Amino acid sequence: MDNSIVISTPPHVKSKRTTRKIMLDVLIALAPAAICGIVYFLVDALVIEITAVVFAVLAEFIYIFIAKGGFSWKFSDDESKALSKEIKELKKQNADDPSLAEKEAKLKEIKDRLRNASFGKSTNVCKAFIHQFDFTSVVTGLILALILPSTANWYEVAIGSAFAIILVKMVFGGTGRNIANPAATGRVFMFISFSITTFTAANFAAIGGDTLSTGATYLSGYLLQGNASAMSLVDLFLGTGLAGCIGETCKLALIVGYIYLVVRKVIKWWQPVLYIAVAGLMSVAINGFDFTLFLPYILSGGLMFGAIFMATDYVTSPKGVYGQIVYYVCLGILTAVLRHFTGIEVVSFVILIMNLFVPLIDRYIIRKPFGYKREKKVKQNKEGK
Amino acid sequence: MKAVKGKLLLGGIHVPDRKSLANAAPIEVLPPPDKVAINLSQSLGRPSVPCVAAGDAVKEGQVIATAAGPISSQVFASISGTVKEIKSLITEGGAESQFIVIEGDGSGEKEYMQPLKDPSAEEIKQRIYDAGIVGLGGAGFPTAVKIAPKTPVDTLILNGAECEPYLTCDHRLMLENTDEIARGARYIAKALGVTKILIGIEVNKPDCIQKFEAYDDIGVVALKKRYPMGGEKQLIYSCTGRKVGIGKLPADSGVVVQNVATCFAVCEAVELGKPLYERVLTVSGKAVNEPKNLKVRVGTSIENIVDYCGGEKSAPKKAILGGPMTGIAIKSYDLYTKKTTSGILLMTEEEAAAEEPTPCLNCGMCADHCPMHLMPMNTAFYSSAGDYELAAKLGNTMSCIECGVCEYVCPAKRPLIQAIRKTKAAMRAKK
Repeated sequence: MDNSIVISTPPHVKSKRTTRKIMLDVLIALAPAAICGIVYFLVDALVIEITAVVFAVLAEFIYIFIAKGGFSWKFSDDESKALSKEIKELKKQNADDPSLAEKEAKLKEIKDRLRNASFGKSTNVCKAFIHQFDFTSVVTGLILALILPSTANWYEVAIGSAFAIILVKMVFGGTGRNIANPAATGRVFMFISFSITTFTAANFAAIGGDTLSTGATYLSGYLLQGNASAMSLVDLFLGTGLAGCIGETCKLALIVGYIYLVVRKVIKWWQPVLYIAVAGLMSVAINGFDFTLFLPYILSGGLMFGAIFMATDYVTSPKGVYGQIVYYVCLGILTAVLRHFTGIEVVSFVILIMNLFVPLIDRYIIRKPFGYKREKKVKQNKEGK
Repeated sequence: MKAVKGKLLLGGIHVPDRKSLANAAPIEVLPPPDKVAINLSQSLGRPSVPCVAAGDAVKEGQVIATAAGPISSQVFASISGTVKEIKSLITEGGAESQFIVIEGDGSGEKEYMQPLKDPSAEEIKQRIYDAGIVGLGGAGFPTAVKIAPKTPVDTLILNGAECEPYLTCDHRLMLENTDEIARGARYIAKALGVTKILIGIEVNKPDCIQKFEAYDDIGVVALKKRYPMGGEKQLIYSCTGRKVGIGKLPADSGVVVQNVATCFAVCEAVELGKPLYERVLTVSGKAVNEPKNLKVRVGTSIENIVDYCGGEKSAPKKAILGGPMTGIAIKSYDLYTKKTTSGILLMTEEEAAAEEPTPCLNCGMCADHCPMHLMPMNTAFYSSAGDYELAAKLGNTMSCIECGVCEYVCPAKRPLIQAIRKTKAAMRAKK
């Protein structure tokens, strides 16, 4: 028996699943929606998707590079400073001093050593980044791209993406530590910052005319004008001839992604279903129990995308089953109510709002252990005896 | 009786069992070693008190240490020879304990108790105490205490689930010594005064289920393959539908659970008068040459056993005493078996997981799969901040059975069991 033997607490066998594999599964599930976006919105969508992903990864890299001391370069120390001072003075006084060449060589050696150490550290930081890279920033970037209208400018997307990664995720401690969903927060940030250039059409203009290029959503059309029957359900489902955000239009692609996530056990099947059903029923209730509204309502806007890919984000949703039920029901109710009273697409806002309640839910909704009995029942039993 | 299906558990996991490595190997008897070192701390509770001194001649089966207090057990010489010394050695857990070292003379002289014929309940209880029988499933709770419950009991459940991967010793025992196990179970049932005997066997051992179906007085429950089905509370729920309350004993729900290997030991103690000084264990894993099921004397060195199985096939990444889900990782073969050692596993790098932990994702998989319905991520989170009280409160840590399911499923490979043990120790220290 040699020294390579490992000692640890049990269990000594573990499942093959890792964070990286889960994130790759999410990326695969997002692929149909991303491809449909490119088919419907052409180059615009492709540019936004690539920009968002590249800047998300870049932002994460730069943050880690700085935070881990990749830039803490040191090209001179006290010894080299003193040496260079001596050399300068020697040069002033006597250019032909025999010790000059020797000293210059020594200075060069010290500087080389310092430079190698600095760059070596940078290389190590890069290696550490690659070692810990778990595709979460790729997922964040892609989700952010898919919930933007195709009219967004590439630099706006880049800023939004970097904001989502650095200010929402990394400053809180990186993967698993953020309190709000980075993609949802990034969208809200862009909505507030660039609403004049990007989101006017997407959220306020009525449907009709040059809708594909303006990216107006069907949702805003009927929310503002009440013309719910303007488009057929089939068009709504497939996203054909429909304005909307890049990844949100084709519901078929989203459902394919949903089925993949459920089969791979990344999410539980009832989570998005609960959210969408509650949102749909609540809006039906608000609109005077007009059940014809149910299907157009759940098929329009970003509800389905948000329910499948954003609300189910592990980090920002409750940990326990009962907490999750409360979370998705609240999301559904809030979505319906806010949509009705604001007339804009609110899924990102709602997810962001509910994210902030997650620590509270986790703190107070704790599952009871197996075999738990309420105190009262036990007392009654004793009295019965 | 015809097998009935067991109730489904909420939680638990499906672990690749890798039992095919050793489940076809019949039980072999390991030749008596030249030297044994017998740990005086063989069961839960206080270590036993030695009643022999260095230089004494002892026979196989002779008492060498007596039980200290109610929760403790008798310890017996496992070979005949002379007591060389009583000294302190490092155990597999890393702590020190007193050992009695016996050097064998090879004579194989035995000193058994008188066999009992038609014993009464009291006689059986006394015999189980005298034979030093402890629960052979792993925890090592003295059986004499377990069969004297303070509350009325109506069911005896035999634990033949063997849900731990790799281990096949109970499987082989049930196959080869079916009748002894059934007789042992009847003795325990008589001592308890119950008539209902159930045996829970996982469906991956259909041959054992078939064998036990031949007995009219034993009800067979075919358990779904799910780890930790052999956990006491899980087994009781699956067989009877009863839930054992938090901090309660199975007897409070009218049930006593005994491992099949314990039943076998009881049968031998009653019918042959043979005390518990040897047991069946599994040597398995892909890093061992010939996986085997061996009948091994208590105090045999691990090195001896591994050598008997053909030695290492390749350098193991992990060596484990017990099962892979709950066993202890060891770093040296210079250790000795106990009454409770159920397996020796040498695992290759491919089998043993030794991955670095990554940040917690809050995915909640640990809570989803926890058979006790706890929230291990809360324990890990708050204990890493040093707030053990909150960790125990929000994670319900004190109900944890340390089955290892949470850490098995964790995609971030967090050391959850370590956090749970730390929290438990801190909370116990506070009390």
